[in-house]
Amino acid sequence: MRDASYLFHFFRVAPPVPPLMIWTFVVTTAVAGVTVATDPRRAAGALAPILLLQLFTASSGFAVPARRGHYDLLLTRGGRRVHVALAHWAMSIAPGVASWLVVALVERVATGGASRALVASGTCAAFFMVSTVPWALTVALPRFAGGIGWLLVLVTSASTFSTGVFSDWTVASTRVDGLVWPAWAFVVYPAGAVGQTFTSAQSLAAAPGLAIAVCSMVLACRWAARADVPLEAAQ
Amino acid sequence: MISLAVSIRDLSVQYGRRLVFQGVSFDLAAGQAAGVIGPNGSGKTTLLRTIAGCLTPRSGEIRINGLTPRDALGRTGVAYFAGDATLPGAVRAARWGSLGNGDIVTPDRRRLRALSRGTRQLLGLRTALGRQPLGLVVLDEPWEGLDPDAGRWLSTILETKRDRGAAVVLSSHRLHDLAGLCDVYLFLLPHQATVLRAHEIATVGPVTAEHLSNVFDRLRGGAMSLRATS
Repeated sequence: MRDASYLFHFFRVAPPVPPLMIWTFVVTTAVAGVTVATDPRRAAGALAPILLLQLFTASSGFAVPARRGHYDLLLTRGGRRVHVALAHWAMSIAPGVASWLVVALVERVATGGASRALVASGTCAAFFMVSTVPWALTVALPRFAGGIGWLLVLVTSASTFSTGVFSDWTVASTRVDGLVWPAWAFVVYPAGAVGQTFTSAQSLAAAPGLAIAVCSMVLACRWAARADVPLEAAQ
Repeated sequence: MISLAVSIRDLSVQYGRRLVFQGVSFDLAAGQAAGVIGPNGSGKTTLLRTIAGCLTPRSGEIRINGLTPRDALGRTGVAYFAGDATLPGAVRAARWGSLGNGDIVTPDRRRLRALSRGTRQLLGLRTALGRQPLGLVVLDEPWEGLDPDAGRWLSTILETKRDRGAAVVLSSHRLHDLAGLCDVYLFLLPHQATVLRAHEIATVGPVTAEHLSNVFDRLRGGAMSLRATS
């Protein structure tokens, strides 16, 4: 317990998210909140900028600051490295999660609890995707690398295939050949699922993406736990 | 009194294909200090980082109280500091100081990048050395940038930690700071590592900076003639 409190204290002192990103979240949350309060039907659209911001905030990069020696105090304290990695992830995604919860609360208040688009299963799944995969992709890379890579895949996919598959995320059948495109669309553009309550076909289509997210987190934590941390200047 | 010993056997470390050093062996009992001396790029920082558990050796082994460094970190208080350049510049000084043992090391609210190099170095040292209890102290060029008063404070606190049973491993180019403080001296030269006990360097009286300088020059000359003949 003491170790956990020290971990979070350390990442509060030396946060993985720069203050500019936090202020961007504050502004984006305010805009999204006003949008949802005035027109709750636009809740899904209002969350899109927060998802995009979360994509880049979660791409915080673990190895680069570690190799600059910023985390030496933490890494030589003796706690398990996997806990250090998980605390780094939690603190990286915390501003985005807080932002999401605030907007969801505004939606609930504005609709008197009638609309729950921002806590629907599709929204939760989309938020899980953008909070895990970019962090895992960026664990050994410089800041924003995961977010930039993801956007590159999205732009390439959108320019190669019909963009309709991303903007209107519907799953017509549970047959394997009918699930391939929706599954790909969910991986590349999870924001398409925001506001939707998953049907069984949608759950099947989202499953590979969620499995990728979990696997990428496991691999990233494993890497962070085992990797050497040389000092950049000493190599 | 913490009974701790550092034992290093035939250690070699490499980055990719580049061998940084090889064949390093020495023992350090609890309450003893070791000084690592060598030219730039000889692997001093890498050796200290390996002892602190941040790097895995290519071959050989390190044991701290019989455990691998990573296992020992959890059971032994380790103070490791690799210089002011390793401090994150955006963090406020007072907040960084609270990461040692929670005490207020400095009330200064400025960001670390706004402080002078010596002030950052001192803050980093005080934070790292604030941990209690300390069984192993590993400091890389700790006197760099410090003013004379701060330098004397550091020498005194290192002697105190050592006398209370901590094993101390230091690297420095400032031989007069290492002289007299250490029981073991490791001269790390490219492709050559030589370990000498204090009594082997100065048979009468304490080791001085001149003694260390003479040994270093002799070993470096030997290493250079070795390279020339090979």
